Amino acid sequence: MLRTVKSSMLVALAGAALALSGCGDGDKGGSAPGTGGGGGAADAGAAVPCFSVAWSEYPSWSTFGVAGELKLIDGKKGALGPIEKKWGVDIELKQADYDPCLVMYGSGQCDAVCITNMDVLSPSLSRKSVAVAPTSTSCGADALIVSGDLKDVQSLKGKSVYGLAKTVSEYCFVRNLELLGEKEADYKFTNMDPGAAALAMQQKKEGYEAIVVWNPFVLETLNKRPDARVLFDSARIPGEIVDMLVVAADSLEKPKGREFACAALDAFYAVSARIEDPRTRDETLVALGEKFSHLKVEAMKKVVEQTKFYKTPDEGLALFTGAEMPKVMDKVVDFCVKHDIVKDKPVLGFGDKAAAGAAVLRFDPSFMTAVKDRK
Amino acid sequence: MIRQPASMRAKVVLGAMAVVLMLAGYTVLSERQHRLNPDDTTIPTWSLLGRGVSRIVEVGRVVPGSEESRSWLARQKTRWLVADASATGYRLFLGLLLGVAGAVVLGLLMGCFEKVEAFFAPPLSLLAKVPPTAILAVFFVLTQTYTQMCVAMVAFGILPTMAQAIYLGVKEVPRELIYKAYTLGASHAEVVWNVILRQVLPKIIDGVRLQIGPAMVFLIAAEWLGGEVGFGCRIRLESRLAHMHTVYPYLALLAGFGFGMDAALRRLQRWLCPWCAGGC
Repeated sequence: MLRTVKSSMLVALAGAALALSGCGDGDKGGSAPGTGGGGGAADAGAAVPCFSVAWSEYPSWSTFGVAGELKLIDGKKGALGPIEKKWGVDIELKQADYDPCLVMYGSGQCDAVCITNMDVLSPSLSRKSVAVAPTSTSCGADALIVSGDLKDVQSLKGKSVYGLAKTVSEYCFVRNLELLGEKEADYKFTNMDPGAAALAMQQKKEGYEAIVVWNPFVLETLNKRPDARVLFDSARIPGEIVDMLVVAADSLEKPKGREFACAALDAFYAVSARIEDPRTRDETLVALGEKFSHLKVEAMKKVVEQTKFYKTPDEGLALFTGAEMPKVMDKVVDFCVKHDIVKDKPVLGFGDKAAAGAAVLRFDPSFMTAVKDRK
Repeated sequence: MIRQPASMRAKVVLGAMAVVLMLAGYTVLSERQHRLNPDDTTIPTWSLLGRGVSRIVEVGRVVPGSEESRSWLARQKTRWLVADASATGYRLFLGLLLGVAGAVVLGLLMGCFEKVEAFFAPPLSLLAKVPPTAILAVFFVLTQTYTQMCVAMVAFGILPTMAQAIYLGVKEVPRELIYKAYTLGASHAEVVWNVILRQVLPKIIDGVRLQIGPAMVFLIAAEWLGGEVGFGCRIRLESRLAHMHTVYPYLALLAGFGFGMDAALRRLQRWLCPWCAGGC
């Protein structure tokens, strides 16, 4: 009896080791053949290449976590869910806070990352990147919240507006000022962590009368401080702050790289469909919201209104192939150069590899088309 | 043989070798990363680090006609390093000063008077285990400005641990010495000043040395949350953009600063307390 347990454990261990070493290649990001060293021999034995996605808690990105919980994909290395089997790739889900995700992607620790169209510019300068699909756009999820006695935007002059500098918060603030015909130089945007800024606002701390934060801090602050209100938000610039799934160009070049991107998108659209379906809507929203600041179903309904999902390949395609996208990216790049986020304008491209292969950041609709065609 | 003495020369050579090995290891690591991706900025090469250093020390954008274009001093403040070091240094030293002063007073009182000890010991031992960044909300309410908040986090962050160390030190002062001083006609204040403080001063300096590290961690964590200048806020904003070539020099500066402070305090201890040469 003991012997059989022992030997079956040995077999299981050997199997696990084989599966793990099979993932070795994806693990190293861009390792060229030959430099990988020990991984080479085991690679031949593993049929399914492994790729990793770094994601952080955000409505449209938590879909990957939910897809993992629903076992549509198995987030562990060496285990396959139905979607992974369909595309013949192994997806490893790596969850972290947003900022560590950016660092992870920049240093080649993962193949794909959930990131905004603005934050991807800086890492794409050092790691050629392909945006394979938009997941959502901020449509009220980034907001300027002011205390009740501030009546209009002019009354912000001479006051500090708190928000995290060099992020979509500052972009949202500056773009809204532009739309209102105001000069950016007349206002003072002061760097502060959104969590800390929301806390100060909720405590009615003196001097903290205006903050620019993102969800869940927007909803939390408005809930906890009834006299505070939204002066303006990202609903006025829909389609400008875009949350995306970005894959490194070198990962796409690897065997099954394209299939990996398609499988990740397939999982995203599968969960999005569950949100749309009235029968599964509430439970999926609760699952999404559970980790996203423990929001209840009502609040989550608000959240997905303010974070508008590109819930089908068609909606994503409309954005990526539309005439607006290059114009939006021009604005974003201008902002980033002006605010010292990137030194030079990165070369952006729109279209598949044949059309825009030279770009450091390419908005490539071909993956969404592939997912759509293989439903 | 265990504890066989090593010559001074061997010690210096070995110490230098360790540092050289560390730098060589980094070089290899960055070479490897750059073979994988020539444009990598996360483990920058030495030349890229050089560019990062010049970014840190160069004069920032100066608008013609502004104060910076007229005054030399104002122009210096547009250098990242000057702006960040002055902000962070001010916060750190003020925080350390307040924290140490509070800890010395509290520690002496607790060591000398058992009723004071009974009152303060429980909260101190609880607070010593709470990281100040975890009670951010409390500091927000307690302080007015952002700089005050950073200072308060450093001061309250180090105070409980230091006060505990000091009061335990006071309690270790041999009873005989105190009785002897009293029999020789010393007043209470004289006993504290001439007997107790002399005995615990080296321990206080040791305590400060040990708390420099935590104080820096608390400060960087506080600055991480916001502010326009400061090491923590700069490191956060730059690391978000994967600009590690500017982040690592900042970290090296922090390390160098901590090392320098440690050495300086050891010298201070030897100079202030010659009676405990070779450690107390």
